[in-house]
Amino acid sequence: MKRRIIGAISVALLASVTAASCGGNSSETSGGTPKKGGTIRVLTINEQVSHLDPQRNYTGDDLAFAGSTMQRSLTTYKMVGGTAGAEIVGDLATDTGVVSNEGKVWKFTLKDGIKFEDGSAISCADVAYGVSRSFATDVITDGPTYASSYLDLAGEYPGPYTATAAQQSDYDKAVVCDGKTITFNLKIPVADFNYTTTLLTFSPVPKAMDTGEKYDMHPVASGPYKIESYEIGKSLVLVRNDQWDPTTDDQRKAYADSIVYEFGLADATIDERMMADAGDDQTAVSFKVQPENLQRIFEQDSALMKRSSNFLDAFVTYTNLNVKNLSCLDVRKAIYLALDRDALRKAGGGPYTGDFGDGFVKPALALDYKKVTPVDGLNTDGTANVKAAQAAMTAAETSCPEVAQHAKSGLSFYYPDTDIWKKSLAIWIDSMGKAGIKIKPEAVEASQYWATVLNPETNYDIARGGWAPDWANASTVLPELFTTAGGFNLTRNADDPDYKAFEAKVTEARNTLDRVAQGKLWQELNQEVVDHLWALPGTFTRAQNIWGSRVGGTEVWAPNSAFIYGNLWVK
Amino acid sequence: MDETFLIDPVSTIEGKSPRELAWARFRKDRLAIVGVAVIGFYLFVAVFAPVICSLLNISPYRLDGLALNDYGLPKGSFGGVSSSHWFGVEPGTGRDILARLMYGARVSLLVGFAATLVTTTLGIVLGVVAGYKRGKVDAVIGRMTDLTLAFPSLLLIIALTRPLTQRLESMGVPEGNPARLTYIVLVLGLFGWVYVARIVRGQTLSMREREFVEAARASGAGTRRIVFKEIMPNLWAPIIVTVSLALPGYVATESTLSFLGLGMLPPAASWGAMLGDSVRYYRTDPTYLFIPGITLIILVLAFNIVGDAVRDALDPKADRQSI
Repeated sequence: MKRRIIGAISVALLASVTAASCGGNSSETSGGTPKKGGTIRVLTINEQVSHLDPQRNYTGDDLAFAGSTMQRSLTTYKMVGGTAGAEIVGDLATDTGVVSNEGKVWKFTLKDGIKFEDGSAISCADVAYGVSRSFATDVITDGPTYASSYLDLAGEYPGPYTATAAQQSDYDKAVVCDGKTITFNLKIPVADFNYTTTLLTFSPVPKAMDTGEKYDMHPVASGPYKIESYEIGKSLVLVRNDQWDPTTDDQRKAYADSIVYEFGLADATIDERMMADAGDDQTAVSFKVQPENLQRIFEQDSALMKRSSNFLDAFVTYTNLNVKNLSCLDVRKAIYLALDRDALRKAGGGPYTGDFGDGFVKPALALDYKKVTPVDGLNTDGTANVKAAQAAMTAAETSCPEVAQHAKSGLSFYYPDTDIWKKSLAIWIDSMGKAGIKIKPEAVEASQYWATVLNPETNYDIARGGWAPDWANASTVLPELFTTAGGFNLTRNADDPDYKAFEAKVTEARNTLDRVAQGKLWQELNQEVVDHLWALPGTFTRAQNIWGSRVGGTEVWAPNSAFIYGNLWVK
Repeated sequence: MDETFLIDPVSTIEGKSPRELAWARFRKDRLAIVGVAVIGFYLFVAVFAPVICSLLNISPYRLDGLALNDYGLPKGSFGGVSSSHWFGVEPGTGRDILARLMYGARVSLLVGFAATLVTTTLGIVLGVVAGYKRGKVDAVIGRMTDLTLAFPSLLLIIALTRPLTQRLESMGVPEGNPARLTYIVLVLGLFGWVYVARIVRGQTLSMREREFVEAARASGAGTRRIVFKEIMPNLWAPIIVTVSLALPGYVATESTLSFLGLGMLPPAASWGAMLGDSVRYYRTDPTYLFIPGITLIILVLAFNIVGDAVRDALDPKADRQSI
């Protein structure tokens, strides 16, 4: 669920970062040596952290927050800015794991001296129990499901709450504990499983203290901070966890004495407070800047420029076309060529929104990215090619008169009911009108957007999309977005005549162990999606952070496109 | 010497009907005349918006990316005011603000007048029935009035927008803005009739006991004649006063609903929606905030001034120098 939460935060996860990292025109001056003490504040429009339960946490910013402060996993990305942040190291495990049996068996050995906040030692069983929780998708909702798609189980496993003895012993054969060593037996070869284990799905949970659904409100800490109080809509207060032993953890620096998350603020208010930089806000951070303030912060006010960053994040935004209704390439082509992507980008804040994307895999995924050959007639500057679009519609009149007629009489366009999207809608209507295509707008309350379009009953023609890879492998992108088994396939492309071949190739890519050969297959698949226009490439997005004048350590943690919250310090 | 004065002294003491007296009083109120002119101007602009827009070569929907800088903000000072965009352009899209204001005026005035028509009709019918029939009918209508007044109407209007609009659509009202507008007019009517009804009922109650009504009844007039010929003509003054003060309220309510995203659907123009969007830009593009705000204030103010003047002119007890 690396979907972007609408109008709120960048949600992202990605590893190998070349272009990403270092903020564009930002100045990453940390200024001075880090020191301990003080309180760091995080200001947000959200009412709560989506999920603090480690097995349910699946949004980039929340993973960065919980992962750098409270929860440890088997492995972690290095908690530094720049390209080094894409490297993984052992976290609870002594190293990044030992692979055998051609990528199907992975072994991790736990460190000594690792403890929960109550002082009890973290054992292999706690990790195995934590992972097993991710199977109970009726209680542990919204989390990554990689464990269940990778682990080699003989039959169904419903998670630890309702499993029969036989089902539990089946799980115990897939995840084996032997002293301090935990072994994962996988059903398919996964060459980069140790990247999967950076997800907090692989974080330990003490069985005796598991409260199921309620665990989200007070998970047991394994990192340097623990929860002191948590009130939805108001605040979350983290304080030091004295059971955390810094000698077992070379990544988390834990400078601040406490970290306070302030919820439910208006977006304009956050910007005002951050710019004003008064009192406690001097030690505050915010991970979103509103479009109307971008120019002021990044170009006009030199004091603000020093305490803000503008960076390429891991996200790709795009537009889903419902291939079931728009079962005609000519019509899909007409839509793509007619769309004024330049105007859309301007409405969102221009270059700060990001760069025009050529596909669904970002160049930061170096092995899996190859420049996509665009559709014939596409203007590279992002403007509409109205003539070519009209020609495509004319072609559609003969190749598929029914679909062309549908496009002329009105395509249902589902959009989140926010100020920015109302403007994007106007641009869509204007763009499509020039090619003779009509748009029927359907406003959806922003927080209900994904639930609405993911509902198979919702008969949209056009829906938005946004995604970031879970780690540096397009296996976490293309299969998720464009195969029927994928968790975020909004294209309904199963009946496309070329779908079966596409799916077969995805399976082939997944089973290819040679990372370079695999990358080549992903490159071809990315090109195939663009050729079929099941979805229209949009933007390789950028994100903006801003912090108070007394905050240090504000580098971007590239894999999560977020602050390394636990390592922020007060000047 | 003014000969006419001497020759025709009768003309100065000529009898004037109440209507003529009221009109004479109203005409003396300069502010009210300005108010009427302003309302007339808005009405003219609203009715002829498409013609004016085509004459000025502007459109409420046409995008103008060239009027925006790289960040989607209007180029130039005062929100992109230029010879082609007199009031500047909307940030993000470059749509012409003047054109959107003119089209927004159509919505505001349409809702204002339609809601007034609905409330007045409902109010008169129920008020007259209650006042004339008295007894049980009056009691029932009276309780309905109390109940309606007890509703937190704005909250209810907001909460019911989506479900009831869908209901209207399923009942055959064209989807989208027609359904939205119908809903807004209907709910404003539903909550607004009570004010008219109360005044009409009171007037009817006192009127039906008056001598001229007694006389009509004694000479064998039927209920229909008494209501339409004897009572109704005497109700217009208070009704006009109530209506002229309620109308600006409806215009403002429509803007409130649009501000909250419950009015007209995008990309249609509406003042409230413009205000809602412009709040974000109060620092970077304040002109965008002021223009729709001032436009709305001027119209509501004009309606209120005219409403006050009408009340002063029609109310015989008004504390004004007599003419």
